[in-house]
Amino acid sequence: MTEDYFGFTNKLFAPQDTDKKAEALKGLRVLDLSHMIFGPTAAKFLAQYGAEVIKVEVPNQGDYWRGGTYWGKYWKHSNPLWHFINQSKYFVAIDVKKPKGKDLILKLAEKADIVIENFTSGTVEAWGIGYSQISKINPKVIYASLSTYGQYGPKRYNPGWDLLAQGASGVLSVTGHPDTDKYFKVPDFFGDFFPGYYAAMLILIALNYRERSGEGQYLDGCQAEILMRALSHFTYHDATGNDLGRTGNSDPTMSPSGIFKTLDGKFLALAIASDKQFQSFCKALGREDLARDEKYNKAFRRLQPEHALTLNKVVEEWVKTKNAAELIELARKHRFAATEVMDDVQICNDEWRQERGSVIPFEDDMYKKLVIEGPIAMLSKTPGRTKWLSRPLGYHNRYVLKKIMGLTEDQIKELEKERVVGNWDYRVGQRPPIYHDLAKDKIFNYEGGEDH
Amino acid sequence: MIWPRTRYLITKEVRTIKERIYSRYLQKTSSSGPLSEWSQLLSKMMTSEGKPEALDDMMVLDLSYANFSGNITASFFAEAGAEVIKIEPPEGDPSRIVSPYGANVKGVGIPYLMESRNKRNVALDLSNPEDRENLKLLATRADVLIETFAPGEMDEWGIGYRQLRELNPGLIYIAITPYGHYTAKGKEMAGMPWTDLTSQAESGLAALIGDLPNTPEPYNWPTRAGFYAAGYTSAVGAACGGLVASFFKRRTGEGQMVDIASADAYASCVGFPPTIGYVWKKPRFRYGTLDYGLCPYGFFKCKDSYVAIACFRDQDFRAAMRILGKWKLEGEWKTLLDRITDDIDKVQELNNEVEDAVAKYTYDEINEKFSSFSVKSARSKWRGGGLPVTTKMLTPKEVLQEKHWQIRGSFAKVEHPSYGIVTLPVTGKLSKTPLRVKWLSADIGEDNEYIFKKYGLVEKKSG
Repeated sequence: MTEDYFGFTNKLFAPQDTDKKAEALKGLRVLDLSHMIFGPTAAKFLAQYGAEVIKVEVPNQGDYWRGGTYWGKYWKHSNPLWHFINQSKYFVAIDVKKPKGKDLILKLAEKADIVIENFTSGTVEAWGIGYSQISKINPKVIYASLSTYGQYGPKRYNPGWDLLAQGASGVLSVTGHPDTDKYFKVPDFFGDFFPGYYAAMLILIALNYRERSGEGQYLDGCQAEILMRALSHFTYHDATGNDLGRTGNSDPTMSPSGIFKTLDGKFLALAIASDKQFQSFCKALGREDLARDEKYNKAFRRLQPEHALTLNKVVEEWVKTKNAAELIELARKHRFAATEVMDDVQICNDEWRQERGSVIPFEDDMYKKLVIEGPIAMLSKTPGRTKWLSRPLGYHNRYVLKKIMGLTEDQIKELEKERVVGNWDYRVGQRPPIYHDLAKDKIFNYEGGEDH
Repeated sequence: MIWPRTRYLITKEVRTIKERIYSRYLQKTSSSGPLSEWSQLLSKMMTSEGKPEALDDMMVLDLSYANFSGNITASFFAEAGAEVIKIEPPEGDPSRIVSPYGANVKGVGIPYLMESRNKRNVALDLSNPEDRENLKLLATRADVLIETFAPGEMDEWGIGYRQLRELNPGLIYIAITPYGHYTAKGKEMAGMPWTDLTSQAESGLAALIGDLPNTPEPYNWPTRAGFYAAGYTSAVGAACGGLVASFFKRRTGEGQMVDIASADAYASCVGFPPTIGYVWKKPRFRYGTLDYGLCPYGFFKCKDSYVAIACFRDQDFRAAMRILGKWKLEGEWKTLLDRITDDIDKVQELNNEVEDAVAKYTYDEINEKFSSFSVKSARSKWRGGGLPVTTKMLTPKEVLQEKHWQIRGSFAKVEHPSYGIVTLPVTGKLSKTPLRVKWLSADIGEDNEYIFKKYGLVEKKSG
């Protein structure tokens, strides 16, 4: 008898062994010139799988998201929502507008495999650190310019970020209830994170190509265009002549489908995708007559708005009479999809996610415990991992400038005096937590030697 | 329609108000050398014709079944040039019938049609031993296999990762299921099928969309993001994971297994829920059209549309108040600290005032006012006046008509003998190896003959 399948997979993935396994992107260097969320997320993904990511910020100012947060809540003198976006990176602060700063950045770029920036179209070119300049000193570089409207086209100079990209791409117009005048945005900067991962995907495609051809290239990552890629509404519009509009709680591609309230006051999401699932769902419901009904037994008819509405009413009444746990057990047994609507605290404390490694209670040398998200994809041989949380502005100046650039302490002091490189000022988000003893910090005061 | 190319690339001529403000660094650049080089590069990026494909040395098997994330992941590989063979049972993948209101073109649903780009369609009956042998033949040659069956199902059929890695140690085996292929819950919930709605709910998204607690039911209930938000997120995650594995394979020759849990991928992508759950200790409630971070920050209803009012900094807020004729409010809401949105009743006051003000104007009026203010403040040395920014909410129909996207070629129109002309969004502008749509193939077994011959597969004797 062979081993049970889950016995095999549990050993194959074993999150506790992650640190012993190889890193797929080890040896690759990423120069992350980006700020806020879109660009830094792409760089973070590469850091999770082993790339050495050097994040460059402006001295005494830093990435604006350092000082951002929700509800004015900070954590240990930092924005708690900044750490997971900038995990395992190296933080240097260099002023690009000073000629010596520009030279430093060019020298770093010469040694980089990937450069990521997300300024307004043309800005890096004007600063002298764009693709046309860097590709001359490093022809194999993969250079990703990320922006809301892309690098060319009449709207290229329009500013933008998550909110504006959601409005411009059509994403905003499809969420909400059709009988109201409210359009809900997709929260938590989906319009930055999703394009960030998509940009990482494009960078990896370019990397795979470079591996076989030896050639680098330029990448125009357009945030709004990437959001449009996730909508079937354009294909739907041109095929039917109609706009799908907002559909409230239900998914118009599945019937029945919706979010319903259970007897114990919880919210249950339920959706039926296939005819087979519909048959077994009707069994669980005790309404096998519906499974035989010609109005419902085939998906394309079941999906007609009036039939979907009738079925959703039936489900609504049924869900009202049962507790959430009971319904989910029925779903499991009868193999249809139903789940409770999970909130922040449930996700944070979810045993399954912690066992899986997709929610990590991380112990950091500087910030101590913080719960963060794990990698989006679990790889059996080269799993993603977090090495450290974010660090104060310019924290790795010495480490990067000495180790990678070969500068001496005197040269760095000179650059500091000229304000070419620097670190934090008093503002929240830039400085280290108050309890941290900088004098004893070997990385901050890096003199040479061991790896970090 | 052919647009004049160079007009929309970098030129010395600066036309619109937006350009005058946001190209300020470019305007200062005296040397035109690098800019013209960059401009040339961009003009070459407007077409993918005649360019190589990044992954055309890869073969991908797409076995996804009743799970859109699988179809989408395979599409990304196909757009980058891989040979993607979609394998489905003779009666078809149930994803074919998942479509808005049942809309379909000759029996094929819209989302399926949309993700049938550049694929080869092959029908194999995996319940039949002969076809399983055919699958093994293909898997021996494949670089990537994507499957979405219940965990353990492929293994039971003798064609899971455990068996296929023996035949092909370089195989990258991507599995996408709601709860993944390991952990106790993964095993317990193995039979639970995929849907986008339940993935949205389980990953914390639905809990955050919906109106404020004091509004009537069901408007204050958790609400669905009106597209496959979780489905596409899982797919991009799977493609990213697969490409990391493929990079590793190119260096070491080794394959591996990639596991995606679609009930979780969204939460891992945005990352906010676990950290907020830990630091806040209590869940956020639904915020309607308000924002968790800033106020005013969102889209507001104007006379003819919805318009973005987004105030990041105090000077942006001051500018917006001045322009909207609400300057008398400024004193009370002066700093970011006054506008923190944790006190919902308080910020709603401000939000309502902005709503009232915006309702008096059309989008063009607001845009004009904001833009001319920005021009003046961008010229000022200290720029203390702020740079108020706005845009208009567009519907998919309006997006399709935007000249900007037409020039960028953001929508491909592809003709298929059965389905006519189909519109498809596409993006991935790489200078040397851009992503592209070459054809659609969505008939069941459309490419059986081609693939059977190419890979020496054996026709079943039975049936």
